[in-house]
Amino acid sequence: MAAKTKAKSNATKGSGSQPRQARFWLMYPPKQITSPVIWELGHKFPVVTNVRQASVTDEIGIVCLELDGKRDDVKAAITWLEKQGIKVEPVEINVIES
Amino acid sequence: MEKATGFMKALKCRECGREYPLTANHVCEFDFGPLEVVYDYDRIKIALTREVIQSRPKSMWRYRELLPIAHEPTVGREVGFTPLIKADRLARRFGIRELWIKNDTVNYPTLSFKDRVVSVALSRARELGFTTVACASTGNLANSVAANAAAAGLKAYVFIPSDLEQGKIVNSLVYGATVVAIKGHYDEVNRLCAEIAGKYQWAFVNVNMRPYYAEGSKSMGFEILEQSGWKIPKHTVVPMASGSLLTKIHKSYQEAAKLGLVSEAKYHIHGAQPTGCSPISVAQKAGLDFFKPVKPNTIAKSLAIGTPADGFYALKVMKETNGHADDVSDDLIRQGIKDLAECEGIFCETAGGVTVAVAKKLIASGRIPTNDSAVLCITGNGLKTLDAVVGHVGETREIRPSLREFEGLLEAENRSVNA
Repeated sequence: MAAKTKAKSNATKGSGSQPRQARFWLMYPPKQITSPVIWELGHKFPVVTNVRQASVTDEIGIVCLELDGKRDDVKAAITWLEKQGIKVEPVEINVIES
Repeated sequence: MEKATGFMKALKCRECGREYPLTANHVCEFDFGPLEVVYDYDRIKIALTREVIQSRPKSMWRYRELLPIAHEPTVGREVGFTPLIKADRLARRFGIRELWIKNDTVNYPTLSFKDRVVSVALSRARELGFTTVACASTGNLANSVAANAAAAGLKAYVFIPSDLEQGKIVNSLVYGATVVAIKGHYDEVNRLCAEIAGKYQWAFVNVNMRPYYAEGSKSMGFEILEQSGWKIPKHTVVPMASGSLLTKIHKSYQEAAKLGLVSEAKYHIHGAQPTGCSPISVAQKAGLDFFKPVKPNTIAKSLAIGTPADGFYALKVMKETNGHADDVSDDLIRQGIKDLAECEGIFCETAGGVTVAVAKKLIASGRIPTNDSAVLCITGNGLKTLDAVVGHVGETREIRPSLREFEGLLEAENRSVNA
């Protein structure tokens, strides 16, 4: 439960400069499977990356990634990932239901 | 019920098996696998018999020991026990011995199966001390949360994408829910809703309450078993959005067999998707145990989930039960809606059209043998998706107030029938 406690203490009322810890599933298309995307992400943005689970085949790469940083930096990191063709979903996957 | 947790034992990670207390929590902290409720089946076996069930009012709560609440239900007490109809005319049209329709188009109070999951989530939310409930939804779920929360005196927040049709918004606003329309691409809206759910200590029915919420679907399976004379149907066809309903129907059959409510029997669970959003069906047909995310493009909006959260588990159930998945085009979905309406007088929403049309396909291909019996799960009312069928179900015949004109119309109709 430690991670949860930390996430709660980090969740403050605020703006983009406030810290945020978030968890996402990244889904890599085949052409990106061999790229060191998470390494690049860590160099481009001031966010802490923490891989918590991964499954990689020739057809799809699925990685569960924890991102820790300022909210704006986390958002920018997600936008960059999406530009690389990677689908970024919250760990809940589909929060919006019919 | 004896304990403060009723017949529930714990929440358990579906991936690693770690157990957690029965709080509003949905993700394992170690591997982020989904949490699921585990029950004390030994105690349930003593408490829940066919006789006990049959002595109770006709609602989904007659199986309450197998639903994740600690005490008596407080929200949606009248939900469920919808009709299971023998669909002889539809069976003849599709060339199969026997078809049954589990008709959740008349589920109380908002005419979709979502009332089952929402009443469980809100009853449990109350037990856990929540006074505010929330959901992110584009349709049936929003309506159900808004209506059931209103009846229970709970404050409700409903999050929707800003481009949603007016009709669907009214169906939530009317109950007094706070409806928040979020501008942006679907993925951004989805992520923001997850963030809001994580930040505010509300009962977000399909996020932190998900382990309880999802269990509500089992009631549809229990009802099918009881209404079939305590037998497991040979074939059950289930629509798939996230894939959760399919896995819970399977779980209900397994639980009932484990408790001796039904005899063990071989059965097949089949999954139905629209071709415009068919990640699970495509994976099943290709023999894969994973799916590839897709961008939905279908009239069956209630099944339009491109990254289905339970897709992996739905594939597993179909594999275990030797079931099949298939998908159908928008035209076939409309035809499915018409087939059910014309043969059985039931007007279902597009998801129902998907289920009917896929069943027809599975029968035609021999996946469901014509000498067998099948149950089709119809999950929502056609009045909710009128736009999808307008212009495709024929036209009115207009006449002036003249008997001669009316008789002329009848004659023309007879001629076309005889032609």
